[in-house]
Amino acid sequence: MDYESLKEQWSEIEDRDGIRLSWNTFPSSKMEASRLVVPIGALYTPLKEKTDTPLLQYEPVACKSPCRAVLNPYCQVDMRGRIWICPFCLGRNSLPPHYKDISQDAVPPELLPTSTTIEYRLARPAPSPPIFLFVVDTCQDEDALKALKDSIIMSLSLLPAYALVGLITYGTMAQVHEIGYAECPKSFVFRGSKEYTSKQVQEMLGLMAPGLRPGAQVPQGQPRPMGPAVRFLLPVQQAEFQLTNALEQLQKDPWPVANDKRPLRCTGVALSVAVGLLEASFQNSGARIMLFTGGPATEGPGMVVGSELRESIRSHHDIDRDNIKYFKKALKFYEGLAKRTAHNGHVIDIFAGCLDQVGLLEMKGLANSTGGHMILTDSFTSSMYKQSFLRVFDKDENDNLLMGFNANLEVLTTKELKVTGLIGHAVSMNKKSASVGETECGIGNTCSWKMCGIDPASSYGIYFEIAAQSGPNQMQQGAQKGMIQLLTYYQHSSGQYHLRVTTVARNLSGPSGDPAIAQSFDQEASAVLMARIGVFKAEVDDGPDVLRWVDRMLIRLCSRFAEYRKDDPSSFRLEKNFTLYPQFMFHLRRSQFLQVFNNSPDETAFYRHVLNHEDVGNSLVMIQPTLDAYKIDQDEAEAVLLDSTSIQPDTVLLLDTFFHILIFHGETIAAWRKEGYQELPDYANFAELLARPKEDAKQLIQDRFPLPRFVVCDAGGSQARFLLSKLNPSTTHTTGAYGGVSQSAQTIFTDDVSLQTFMDHLMKLAVSGQS
Amino acid sequence: PGAPGIAPAPQEQLASQFGQMNIQGAPQQPTAQMPPQASNQLYPSDLIGQPFTVQELDNPPPPIHLPPNTSVTPSPYANGDPKYIRSTLNCVPTTHSLLKKSKLPFALILTPYTSLHDAEDPVPVCTDQVISRCRRCRSYINTFVTFLDHGHRWRCNMCNLANDVPQAFDWDAAAQQSVDRWQRPELNYSVIEFIAPQEYMVRPPQALTYVFLLDVSFNAVTSGLLATVARSILESLDRIPNADGRTKLAFLAVDSSLHYFSIPQDGGEGSEPTDPKMLVVSDLDEPFLPTPEDLVVNLIACRQNIESFLGKLQSMFKDTQNTGCAMGSALRAGLRLVSSTGGKLSVLSATLPNMGHGKLEMREDKKALGTSKEAALLQTGNAFYKSFAVECSKQQVSIDMFLFSAQYQDVASLSNLPRYTGGQTFFYPGWSAAKSEDAIKFATEFGSYLSAEIGLEAVLRVRASTGLRMNAFYGNFFNRSSDLCAFPAFPRDQGYVVEVAIDENLSKPYVSLQAAILHTTCNGERRVRVMTLALPTTESLANVYSSADQQSITAYFAHKAVERALGSGLEAARDALQSKVIEIMQTYRKELAGGNMGGGGLQLPANLRALPILFLGLMKHLGLRKSAQIPTDLRSAALCLLSTIPLPLLMQYIYPRVYSLHDMPDSAGVPDPETNEVVLPPAQNLSSERIVPFGLYLIDDGQTQFLWLGRDAVPALIADVFGVEDKMAVNQGKTLMPELDNDFSERVRAVIEKSRDHRAKGVGSITVPPLYVVREDGEPSLKLWAQTLLVEDRSDGGASAPQWLGMLREKVVQ
Ligand SMILES: [Zn+2]
Ligand SMILES: [Zn+2]
Repeated sequence: MDYESLKEQWSEIEDRDGIRLSWNTFPSSKMEASRLVVPIGALYTPLKEKTDTPLLQYEPVACKSPCRAVLNPYCQVDMRGRIWICPFCLGRNSLPPHYKDISQDAVPPELLPTSTTIEYRLARPAPSPPIFLFVVDTCQDEDALKALKDSIIMSLSLLPAYALVGLITYGTMAQVHEIGYAECPKSFVFRGSKEYTSKQVQEMLGLMAPGLRPGAQVPQGQPRPMGPAVRFLLPVQQAEFQLTNALEQLQKDPWPVANDKRPLRCTGVALSVAVGLLEASFQNSGARIMLFTGGPATEGPGMVVGSELRESIRSHHDIDRDNIKYFKKALKFYEGLAKRTAHNGHVIDIFAGCLDQVGLLEMKGLANSTGGHMILTDSFTSSMYKQSFLRVFDKDENDNLLMGFNANLEVLTTKELKVTGLIGHAVSMNKKSASVGETECGIGNTCSWKMCGIDPASSYGIYFEIAAQSGPNQMQQGAQKGMIQLLTYYQHSSGQYHLRVTTVARNLSGPSGDPAIAQSFDQEASAVLMARIGVFKAEVDDGPDVLRWVDRMLIRLCSRFAEYRKDDPSSFRLEKNFTLYPQFMFHLRRSQFLQVFNNSPDETAFYRHVLNHEDVGNSLVMIQPTLDAYKIDQDEAEAVLLDSTSIQPDTVLLLDTFFHILIFHGETIAAWRKEGYQELPDYANFAELLARPKEDAKQLIQDRFPLPRFVVCDAGGSQARFLLSKLNPSTTHTTGAYGGVSQSAQTIFTDDVSLQTFMDHLMKLAVSGQS
Repeated sequence: PGAPGIAPAPQEQLASQFGQMNIQGAPQQPTAQMPPQASNQLYPSDLIGQPFTVQELDNPPPPIHLPPNTSVTPSPYANGDPKYIRSTLNCVPTTHSLLKKSKLPFALILTPYTSLHDAEDPVPVCTDQVISRCRRCRSYINTFVTFLDHGHRWRCNMCNLANDVPQAFDWDAAAQQSVDRWQRPELNYSVIEFIAPQEYMVRPPQALTYVFLLDVSFNAVTSGLLATVARSILESLDRIPNADGRTKLAFLAVDSSLHYFSIPQDGGEGSEPTDPKMLVVSDLDEPFLPTPEDLVVNLIACRQNIESFLGKLQSMFKDTQNTGCAMGSALRAGLRLVSSTGGKLSVLSATLPNMGHGKLEMREDKKALGTSKEAALLQTGNAFYKSFAVECSKQQVSIDMFLFSAQYQDVASLSNLPRYTGGQTFFYPGWSAAKSEDAIKFATEFGSYLSAEIGLEAVLRVRASTGLRMNAFYGNFFNRSSDLCAFPAFPRDQGYVVEVAIDENLSKPYVSLQAAILHTTCNGERRVRVMTLALPTTESLANVYSSADQQSITAYFAHKAVERALGSGLEAARDALQSKVIEIMQTYRKELAGGNMGGGGLQLPANLRALPILFLGLMKHLGLRKSAQIPTDLRSAALCLLSTIPLPLLMQYIYPRVYSLHDMPDSAGVPDPETNEVVLPPAQNLSSERIVPFGLYLIDDGQTQFLWLGRDAVPALIADVFGVEDKMAVNQGKTLMPELDNDFSERVRAVIEKSRDHRAKGVGSITVPPLYVVREDGEPSLKLWAQTLLVEDRSDGGASAPQWLGMLREKVVQ
């Protein structure tokens, strides 16, 4: 099969199963596997929206314990004997009695060849409706606070009427609003400077008050099925009025702030109170704590900067030099909180509306471990915030929120394969099984992970190794296959538990040196899976070490899979399905994911968070942005190289980095626009040229989450720097004089190596055999 | 008018007095004074031959005979009015040894205020801010100074220093005219008030601020306390002193959490009230203010919202199941609320503080009652209560406790808070709003409490002639230094005792003592209330005895007994009282009666005849008597009252009044045609011999009243008073008198009403004694309780009056 057909096939599989593999043929020996360089991995989107297959309304048929694999199209079924053979453990199982009527002509849906991914609606209701606990920072100017309040009030209309809602506000102190109290606005106040234990929070909220009369009976006529926490968390339909009132009455934190001070902001206390509140009564019920913060925490546990303005918030350099006061303590505090929250099965979303940093770096674990969102914006008045926030409440065609809670992803493998880990917004369930590998990649040593929050876009990198003593499977006929089954249990927003089953089967390679392995290399999926590993390493290792690792892996991959004569770089050739991979790695090295010093620590945390959530396509845009050129009288935009040579005076460029969408007017275009030609009837084609990239940008933005920043700029304008920073510096100031490139091309002032230089080095090293 | 002690209210007399004096320039010699060198005679009497009668308690103290021309003006009000200031000895021994020999105490009894409101009993005010004080001893110029150098200088009657008369003394700067010096109030009245200038202020006068600490736990809500308190405050908003419009209020509700209320300012005319915000703080270790805004609010600016809040308060907590009470933490929070301004914390609680700061234990042990272990129960259970009170005193914060528990509440510990901050403990054991008489009593008292014009940031200092020293102070305040007592708030309903020591021989024919209270009035004026008393000196023990004031002496020993009870126990306190009265009688017998006690008599001078009976009353008092039945809280509350209530109330508390109603004279129970005041029947001695089985009596100790219905009372009487024919149908216990349309009912009710008239007694008080109807043949416990007030009867562990006198005689003659 040629490369284009393979790509087609992978794309179909991705549509159907939400999965892309780095290698689509599995090596049949550990030895072979060790030479792959890029590990066997899958980027899997468990809840990818599927409209083509039915939602099964019955319980799945599972293999006996401990295997528990679910009946799937790869199972051998003896229709007459009503026996099925589990491909994972090779055990024989009887079909349950109600399958008695199946035949070749009446195959149950889960056995259809197209049902490699199928979803069951289980007869297991969620313990409570989904919970939304808003945690709102009041240390903000009136405009921002107003916009924030309006957006939250608006969101109430997007929630299902039965969803439970609650409100915590904070500034110098944290306040839990008792919206179930009718007599007057009432809130419980926590000191902002003190660390409260979970038990203290619950006592102080009266959830387990020591003052309660022993044996006191709950008054008649007031059913309290969910314990005393229902005073704070009420169904939208019941609490909308009170909550709206409470939000409308919210005012800027009343404590005075001196001119040379930051406002006191106890984000840490507010969050720990929120976690404590839910911990008490709603463990393992789907819940989102939505934090809206307008600035850094300046007091109490989790503070990231002091209140003195002359003290500035930490930069990457400060962290590098390890000379910051609060960082480690804050990190430890939020990590602890994240662990608790994940354990409880709750999600923390962080919405930041601040021109400066808010301490996202320290808080990142909250969203990363719980599958929460992280939205970094300049202000709550920005449309980037407003639209991103509303997007959280997107619904499916049945009007159910597009979010799942308390998911549990379990991986089963046939004996050739072992799972080594997962990279994504999840925590380990510490479940050992025969499928668990010896090595560890990402969150490993388990076959099961918990995702407190999961949505249809949530994608996870799952990594595998080849088992040591894997011999050929004699039972199977035809080509030998390695198989993986991914079981995702989750609380659907409609209130029932669901199970999504994806079963993956791929050929095992033939005798040593089987070219099928190289042909099965998906360079896009591989680049993304490697990017995730790189970022995972970067969280713990030094930046340069990670870059060296990326380089080494690339060189080794090329040494292994390129065609060349030893020590002759000019003989270096890559197969079609490898050609783009070095370029991806080139851009990955230069990306904000690994080159952090041009960004704030908060931005780094944000970018990495988003990378770990997206599928292959979106991740690739992040790694290697797309650039389209528009020229007058050309109907179609043309994809151009992400290279400074693409900047031409008479073109309009549209850059998409996923986080930013930028329209760049070349020098001439900008001049014409300033002249106002687009207003003149004779220059309708120019007006159209200006309009087309905007239209296309709108299309790009439509499904994007979080909403990207949108920039329109002209050549020479200050905002154009951003475009330049993303381009391959083929014409830097060091090469420009005799680079042999067009004189009109933009010169980039950078010390980065260009792609060409990079490739030259790569080829030289790859062919030298030193890797 | 003439004799001290029965002077009419001065204000009414002011104009006419000055008119009569009609003097310009130099003072005239007083003309209407007693003869020179007069002194009180010793009138021996025999207590056994001529038993004590209750009427003797109405006698004024022995008169003070000063040498002629002692006061600088001939004003009849020149010397201390005993209503305000009186001495145990109206003739002072010149030496310490004579005082010691007399076995009598030398002490001042101070009642700086005799009413809850200035208008009811005003004192003359020096409004021109000219305050002349001695340079050396800092005494205030007074009626007993002398002028020298053609009136340019005045000689201090305490330390003898000559001081310049300030220029403005004779010149009214405001009216731009000269003032007749001899009409200045400070030279005519012994009790006056100065309006103080700037230099008397450490800081500008602070607004009157009340913080209500409201118990909202299960007991307080279910007993109806919270609702009653809310309604009482609501109904009293107009009565809270607020002449300057600055009065502020704050509310803090307490159960296992602190509930603050942020009350916004009223909207404009005709706008709807805005709900307060309830801010709950459960962090009891470090109670903090949850917001900087609107927790202490101006009564006028937030009136509508305060009313709306009080209207809702009850329903806010109606469903509570919370039995926690973190009152100590609430007090800390309350202090924080007003720490910058000072103010009054009014605690209203029905629960033992069982969590947070100052947590108390249920430590009452029924088995300990009546034993030596009881003393420990009367002492403080947690050091928080004293140390916090002292902290409050420093921050100008005063605490009043209104305690309502049906169970043990540890009054002993809680009463420390008022004790050191110039406050008061009010105890309503087993109170319930379901009993309308309970609700009415509290609401009435709390209304009076809120209406009282208290002073703020007050200090009391007593100065005296050279040779005298203030040795000890008794009452509710913090004794900040040897001679200075601090009162964050100065109440209108308390008395104080100051013990005086004679350090040097007194050479002058008289000595002066001056008590001065610097304070801020509740309408923002800085003032000094000055009370000056001059007393003659003597080298004669007979003069000391003949001028001794038995009521003041009893008041002094009441304080000593309370001190002793709290320190060494009840038995020690009773023993000390008994030995004291024996000592006095022995001294009298030996030194003055020539050792003669013939005819089986027991002799005392006429002016001290009540002493043995008053001491007997004290020893049989609820606070001190030997008994294993008295709950600790009741005792503690009684001890608080013994050490705070003004002297007239104290006398009645020790020796209650009994009025026979069934046979009262026609003049009683109706207004006197001249004064228009209801006339009380003659009181009778506290002996059941005087109680006839067919009679109806009012027994009244000022704190509790009993309407005693004899077992043979005729149906007509019962019908007239109770509206029922059958006495079995008479409701016993705490009750309100039915208002029946007959003459006798009206007169009985008028007597009960009048017996509660504090103005007539010359004191300020908020107390409305509850009335219990007791049937002689009815509920035995009620009957027993009423009988404990009959102190001349023999009782469980207590001698009858004749037994007591017999025992005393034995001890005295041996
Ligand atoms: Zn199996
Ligand atoms: Zn002097």
